[in-house]
This record gives sequence, structure tokens and C-alpha cells, in this order.
Amino acid sequence: MTITAGIDVGTGAVKCVLFDVTGEDASWLGKRVDRVRRRDPMKLAEEGYAAVLEEAGLKPDDVAYVATTGDGENVAFRTGHFYSMTTHARGGVHLKPGIRAVLDVGSLHGRGINIDPRGKVLSYKMTSQCASGSGQFLENIARYLGVAVDEIGTMSQSADDPEAVSSICAVLAETDVINMVSRGISTPNILKGIHMSMASRLVKLLKAIKVAEGPVLLTGGLALDTGLVAAIQEDMTDQKMDLAVEASPDSIFAGAIGAALWGAFRHQKLAQIGQLAQAS
Amino acid sequence: MSTAPIIERCREIFEDLDFKVVRAWKDAEPGRKVMGYMPFYVPREIIHAAGMLPVGVLGGGDQLEVIHGDAYYQSYICRIPRSTIELGLTGRLDVLDGMLFPSICDVIRNLSGMWKLMFKDKYAHYFDVPQNFDDGVGGAFYIEELKILCRDFEEISGREVSDEALRRSIAVYNKNRRLVNQLYDLRIREPWKASTTDVYLILRAAMVLPVEEHSDLVREYLAAAQDEEKPMRDNCRIVLCGTFCEQPPLGLLRSIEMAGCYVVDDDFMLVTRWLLDDVPLEGDPLENLSDAYLHHSGETAAKYVPDVKTKGLHLVEAVKRSGAEGVIFASPSFCDPALLDRPMLQNVLDAHGIPYTSFKYAENSGQMQPIREQAGTFADSIKLWSAA
Repeated sequence: MTITAGIDVGTGAVKCVLFDVTGEDASWLGKRVDRVRRRDPMKLAEEGYAAVLEEAGLKPDDVAYVATTGDGENVAFRTGHFYSMTTHARGGVHLKPGIRAVLDVGSLHGRGINIDPRGKVLSYKMTSQCASGSGQFLENIARYLGVAVDEIGTMSQSADDPEAVSSICAVLAETDVINMVSRGISTPNILKGIHMSMASRLVKLLKAIKVAEGPVLLTGGLALDTGLVAAIQEDMTDQKMDLAVEASPDSIFAGAIGAALWGAFRHQKLAQIGQLAQAS
Repeated sequence: MSTAPIIERCREIFEDLDFKVVRAWKDAEPGRKVMGYMPFYVPREIIHAAGMLPVGVLGGGDQLEVIHGDAYYQSYICRIPRSTIELGLTGRLDVLDGMLFPSICDVIRNLSGMWKLMFKDKYAHYFDVPQNFDDGVGGAFYIEELKILCRDFEEISGREVSDEALRRSIAVYNKNRRLVNQLYDLRIREPWKASTTDVYLILRAAMVLPVEEHSDLVREYLAAAQDEEKPMRDNCRIVLCGTFCEQPPLGLLRSIEMAGCYVVDDDFMLVTRWLLDDVPLEGDPLENLSDAYLHHSGETAAKYVPDVKTKGLHLVEAVKRSGAEGVIFASPSFCDPALLDRPMLQNVLDAHGIPYTSFKYAENSGQMQPIREQAGTFADSIKLWSAA
């Protein structure tokens, strides 16, 4: 039995998970997500870690490996750090065994990751620095429209005549949205248009890395946005990509899960060669 | 004692583009002279024996805005000569009484000529090193080169470079090299105790401090670092290769470390450990320095390897010696020696099954995210998918 923690420090949220890994079996001991909202992500990581330990009734000494991912390189009590591609791939395979690609859509970036059945990254591509394919952009638009983030998916799926939005630039897209509002376009149609714009960018990532087999798992903070999932599926169909896109209720934890599982793997490997790393 | 104040001092020295430490040394006694030098190697022992302070000039880093320097070079030339010219033209190198331009590449060789034209009242010398390692050929040539240095330095300093003075200086540098090697050994043993950022800053201090003072500093750091409790991370161990001339920004080194890599060997500031063994104190000191260069020195792209079968084996040896799991080739953009050497070195690593990744930088590179991603995924691939 190896207890490991995974901490995914994202731009929009800090996710912490605790796992008990025995051989091939991995079971949840705790999970927590905190929106950053201008707070110190390192402090949130500390609090989140303490919370999952409390949830599991464990102490820091019980944890064999604290693995960070995302922007977690500065988490002082980490044992090791893994990169987002690596952890989302592994977390994705844990959440949906059999997937062959991961589409990680977070606050700042979108990433298409082509993986093998073990969760090894074969190739990947990220959105460019422009934020128009990201969660932050969607959140901004929702705020302008006065829509709660949780309502975005349902509203988008009720659209009857979606308006196209620039898929190149977040600034242009925001201007588009302002124009739409002044033209009286309904909120569902605007949101659906934004989802279509984002989906178009994200599917391009999958095409660029030549994802030929599915299913594709959506991970990251936007995986729970049913409107985005639907728009991605529709875009794939339009592009004649015979792939299914799925999401898990725990997709937001994919990075943290992957970190925790890779942490367990590393702990066992280091134990075998007598070189266990120690978290401070 | 903590390492923090030592590193803080080194950082201040590193960030000071006005060479205040050097100015203070020079002002402390009338008549003191300072000799600048560029990478990768000069026999600092001779400068020291002439009573002068050797000062490594490694470009302007990421804090210097190059305005004049760019006018002297085409866009496909690296940045170190531009920022060195900038340092010169803005008066920051006025403290130097001369400059040595070692034989590292055409750009630096030509810079020696430009320096003579731009700073006519200052000594500037292209320091050639042998690419033939036969004592009777390369050795004879090199000894003549060293004699030229002795003669020139005597003239500048007004002090005889006697054999006895040379032996004393050789002894001082032997000691400093041993301490620097101890620092590298500590980093191999416990890289979490001596970070590469620390090691780098300590070596940068060696570029401007009197060698005796630097030896004390290294000794203090070693004592403090060994006593400090720092956690061992689950990082992979890598050798950094290609940084021997234009310097990587400190942020790049920090990014590599943050990305999950312990750098356990590198090739920056090779002048501090170019000679692999103590230079003997008995016998003719110039012959001893020549013998050390020909037969007991390191390898880098600027040094010819006569036997092609041995090309790159020094890197394999460095990987083995340091227990590294891979190599990161970080080379300055447009660095002919590093970038022309890289494919040959990569072939050797391929043949030995050693993983590597490669990227380029400039001394003023500011965007580290791509480097973090690349170094991080490389570290992950080693930790998760290597056979070991």
C-alpha cells in the first residue's frame, strides 16, 4: 500500500487528491478543488493538501510521495513534479481506461495529447498564447453576459441559431460578443457560438497531432461544461473525425490524479533502487 | 553558517555590470592592473604572477540593453560579442588595462581585432592555443605564446614574471581548482544541497574576485552547504552541455532545476577547471602549464580532437562519473562551436543509449516557459519511461 498525493496548481483552480495505490489498484482517499480567485496558489495547495489528509484521517508522514503538476514546481513540500501532459495522460487513462487521446482544457491553455494505452505521451500540441480557446476566456464572456459558469453548458445546448465568433483571437471574439449583444442575439446562441469557436480550435489540436483512435477524454476545468463537450463532438463529426469525446465527473482532477499515480510509480521505483526522495 | 549570505554576495557581484569589485581592488593600491579575458580559457596563473587581477568578461547578460553593439554585427552572430562591445563602449570596462581573446571561434578572434581598433590605448591580445598536442609542435608553439603573455604582462604591470612568482601563482590556482572540484563533487553527491544556480553564481564570482578570496568563499560555501538540511527531490540527474561561452540567463538554470532536473555536471566557466590535475610546482612553470594544457585539460567544442573515435567520449564519461541519466544541450543561438559540435555529440550519446534533449538560448532570453516545458517533459520521460 502506497499513499500518494497529487496537487495540480492551475491558473484557475488548485486541485488536490489523495490515493491509496496497491499494485495496479488505485483508490481515492480524498479530493478537493479550490478556485484561485486572486488568492495565493501555494497557500491553496497547502490548505488543499491539509484538507484531503483530514478527509482521509491521515498525517503528512503517512504519505509516501507528494507529486505536483501544473504550476506546482514551487510547492515547498513536494517530493517531485511532473509536467501537465504527463499527468493528464495518466489521469485520463485512470478515469477512462481505453482512451487514446486527452484534450485538456484549462483556464489558460488547451492541449491535445496523443497517448498509448499505458498513458505514455506520444505527441502533443498546445494552443498558442492567445486565450480564445481557454476557460478564462469563457469565464470572462459569461461574466459579461451575466451568466453563472454552471449554467453555461445547459444554455449553450438550448441554442437554436448560434452565431459564429472569431476563433483566432480572444480580443476579436470579445468584440464579436459585444456586437451580438447590441444586435439582440440571445445568450444561448452567443454561448453556443463561443463553444463552437473553442471547439474548432481544440479539434484542430487533435488533428495536428493526428489522433486516429478514440475515445478522447476531455480533462481540465472545462470538462464539466456539457455545452463544450457537445460542440467538440459536433465539430469532430463535421471534420469527419470518427472519434467519440467523453468527460468524467472527475475530469477536473485528471492532472492531480496523474501526478498522484506517477508519484506512486516513482516511489516504488526509487524504493527498488534504494533512493527514496523525501518531501520536506 | 548559512549559504544564503554567500550566495547573496555572489548574486550582487553577478548583477553588477560596472565591475565595482574590480574597481575596489584596483583602487585599494596605486599601480594595480587588471587583465580581462573572454571564454573559454586563459592561463590566469600568468596574469596573477604579474601581480594583476584576471577578470572574466562574459558579456552583458539579460540586464544590459545592447544599443551600440548591434551595429557591429550581422543578425546571424551570437550576442556575447555585441554585449561585450556595449560594455566597452559604455565605459564599463574602463577598469581593465587589457583584454585577452582566447581562441574559441572566429567571432571572438575578430573581436580582438575590433577591440584594437576601438580601444587603441588598451592592450588587446588574441590568445592562440595549440590544436596539435605533440609537445614538440603544439607544445613549443604554446610555450612561445605563454612567453609573449609573460613579456606583455611584465610591461603592463612593471613587475617581473619570474619562475618563482609563476610557481606561487600555479599553487594558488591549483588550490582554487581543487576547491571548485570539491564543489562539483558535492553537487554530484547531494545536488539538493548545492543547487546549480548556487554553483553558477559562485563560479561567476571567480570571474572577478582575487583567486585567494574566491577560494575562501568556496571553502565557506562548502562548509555551510554540507551542514544545511535541504530535502532531496525526486528529480532526474542531467549534464548540461553547450554553455561554455555566451552565458545562459540565470532564469534558464532556475527553470531547468524547477522543471525537475538536478544538473550534476556542466561546462560553464571552464576556465575554473579546464586543467584536470594540479599543475606541478617543480620544473619549468611554462613547460608545466603547456604540458597541463596539452595532456591534462578538459574537452570542449573549441578544442580539436585528433582521434575522431574518441570525439564526444568526454561527455559519456561525464554522464557516468556524475551518475547522470541524460544530457541537456543548451547552446547559445548562432554559437558555431556548440552547434556544430552538437550533432557529433548526439551521435555518441545515441550510440551509448544516453537520452538527450536540445534547445537554444541567448544571454538575454526572457521567455522560459518553453524551456521549462521541454526540460520538464524530458525529466518526466527519464523518470517514467527509462529502462533503469
